[in-house]
Amino acid sequence: MQAGGIKLTLGVYIALFLTFLYAPLMVLAILSFQIGPEGGPQFPIIEWSTYWYQHLFGLTPPSRIAPLPIKEALFRSLTLAVMTMIVSTVLGVSSAQAFRKRFKGQNFVFYLIVLGMMVPGVLVGLGMALVSNELSVARHWWGTAFVLHVVYTFPFAFLVMLAIFNRFDQSVEEAAWSLGVSPAKTFRKVTFPLIFPGVLSAMLFAFTLSYDEFSRTLFASGRDLTLPLAIYGTFSVEVHPNVFAFGVLTTLFSFALLSVYAILMTLSMRRAKRIAIQEDA
Amino acid sequence: MSVSATTSETETMTEPVRKSSSKSVWLITPGVIWMLLFLVAPMLMMVYVSFWTQTTFAITPDLTTKSWVTFFTSETYLNSLWTTIRIWLIVLAATLVVGYPAALFVGLFVKNRTIQTALLVLCVIPFWTSFLIRVLAWRPMLGKEGAINLILMKLHIIQQPIEVLLFSELSVIIGMTQIYCVFMVGPIAFMMGRVDQSIIEAAQDLGAGFWRIFRTIILPLTMPGVVVGAIFVSVMVLGEFATAAALSGRKVNLLGNIIVTQVGSLKWAFAAVVGVVLTIVMGVVVAGLLRVVDLKKEL
Repeated sequence: MQAGGIKLTLGVYIALFLTFLYAPLMVLAILSFQIGPEGGPQFPIIEWSTYWYQHLFGLTPPSRIAPLPIKEALFRSLTLAVMTMIVSTVLGVSSAQAFRKRFKGQNFVFYLIVLGMMVPGVLVGLGMALVSNELSVARHWWGTAFVLHVVYTFPFAFLVMLAIFNRFDQSVEEAAWSLGVSPAKTFRKVTFPLIFPGVLSAMLFAFTLSYDEFSRTLFASGRDLTLPLAIYGTFSVEVHPNVFAFGVLTTLFSFALLSVYAILMTLSMRRAKRIAIQEDA
Repeated sequence: MSVSATTSETETMTEPVRKSSSKSVWLITPGVIWMLLFLVAPMLMMVYVSFWTQTTFAITPDLTTKSWVTFFTSETYLNSLWTTIRIWLIVLAATLVVGYPAALFVGLFVKNRTIQTALLVLCVIPFWTSFLIRVLAWRPMLGKEGAINLILMKLHIIQQPIEVLLFSELSVIIGMTQIYCVFMVGPIAFMMGRVDQSIIEAAQDLGAGFWRIFRTIILPLTMPGVVVGAIFVSVMVLGEFATAAALSGRKVNLLGNIIVTQVGSLKWAFAAVVGVVLTIVMGVVVAGLLRVVDLKKEL
C-alpha cells in the first residue's frame, strides 16, 4: 500500500486505542493500593498500602466502611458457573452433533438457540421473574437464575462446537464403525479427543460468561447475592477502594483462567500433532 | 466469533442433504426444550403481563391496555425511549469510528502473523474480565479529581477540572464505547483477514491511491463485518442499564433503568410494557441492519 504514512498513523492509533481499552483498569489497579480507611477512591495516593486487600478478607479492624459480602457470594458464583458450564457444554455438544445431519426445522432451531445470546438479560430476567411469580416458584440463584445462565451460555458452546464439527473429518469415525466399534465407544475414543479443543473453548466461554453475568441474575436470583450482584450493589452508594481491590483480584482470576485454558489448548494441540506425525510415519 | 458461526451455519446448509435420523432428534430435543421453556415462555409471559391490571401492590390478570396508555402518555417514559435511541445511535457511531481503524490496522496492515494474533488477543482480553469492574473503572478516570482531569491540569491544558466528564451523558457514552468496541473490532478484523490481497495489489498497479482502494474495495468487502458488529453493539447497548446506573449519577435513564426501577417498586405490568417496547425497538433495529447486507450471501 502506498502508505508508509498511513501505516504509521494507524500504528500510533492502535497504541492510543489499546490505552483507551486498558487505562481505566490500570488506574483502578493503582488506586486499589491507596491507604485506608481514610484514603478515598481518587488521586493522589496518600500512602501506598495493601489496606483494602486486607479489608476484603476481613483482616482489618472494623471501620465505618462495611466489608463487601464476598465470601458467600464467591461460593455461589463459582458453583453457579460450574453448573452452567457443565450443562451448557453438554447441551452445546449434543446440539452441534445433531446439526451434523440435516433435519427438518434446522434453521428454526439454529435461530432459536442463537436467540439465547442475543436477547438482553434484563428482558429474559424480567420474563423469568414474571413466570416464577405466576407459578409461585421461589427465585433462587441455583434455580431460576441458573436456567437463564444456561440460556445465555449454551448458544456460545453450540456455535463453538458447530465450527469444530465443520472442520471434522468424518472418515475417521466411519473407519471406527466399519471396524465394528460401538458408536458410544467411537465417540469416547475417536470423536471426543478430536473435538476436545472445542469442548475446552465452550467450557471457558460458559464458565466466564456465567461467572460475570449479572443482568439475568438481578431479577431471577432472589435474595442471595452472587459476586456481580454484590458489586452492582455498590453502584448506588459511595465507592471505596475495596471495590477496586476486589476488581484487581477478579481480573487476576480471569487471567489465571485464561492461562490455564491456553496451556491446556497448547498441550492438546501438541498431542494432536504428535498423532498426526505417527499416522504419517 | 459470531461471524465464523454464521459462516459455519451456511456451510452446514450447503452440505449434501443426509437422511434425518431419530438419533439427531434425541440429541437436539433437550436444547430446544430448554430454550422454549426458559427463553420463549418468559418472553411471551412478558408480553402477556404487559396487558394485566396494575394496582398499587400487585398485578391481576384482568386484561387492559392501561399500562400501555400510561407509557405513551407519560413524558418520563417517552423521554427515556428517546434517550435510549439517542445513546444507542451515538455509541454505535462511536464504536464504529473508534473500532474500524483498529481493525483496519490489525487485519490488513500487520503482515506478521504473531503480532497480528497478539494484537487481536490484546483487544479481546478485556471481554473476559468483569463487565461491572470495567464500568466502575471509569469513575476514578473521569471524576473531578480523576486521572484525566489530573493529567490535563498538570499539562496546563485546563485550569479548572472538567466536571461534565463524570455523572453525565458523556460519561455513559465513553464507558459504553470502550466496553462494546471490542464487538465491533472482532467481526471487522475477521472480514479484513478475508480480503484478497491480490485485488488490492491489482488496484495499486493500476495506480489507485489508498483512499480510492479503501472506498471501492476494503469498505464494501468489510461491510458484513460492520453489520455483524453493529448488531452485537446495538443489542447490547439497547439492553443496557448498568453503565448508566454506574456513570450517569441517575441523570441518564435508559429503558433498561426504567425496568429495574419498576421491578424494584413491584410495578410488574409497567415493567413488562417497557420490556415489550424495548424488544420491538431491538427487533426493528436488527431487521433493519440485516437489510443493509445479505449476510448469508456475503459470508
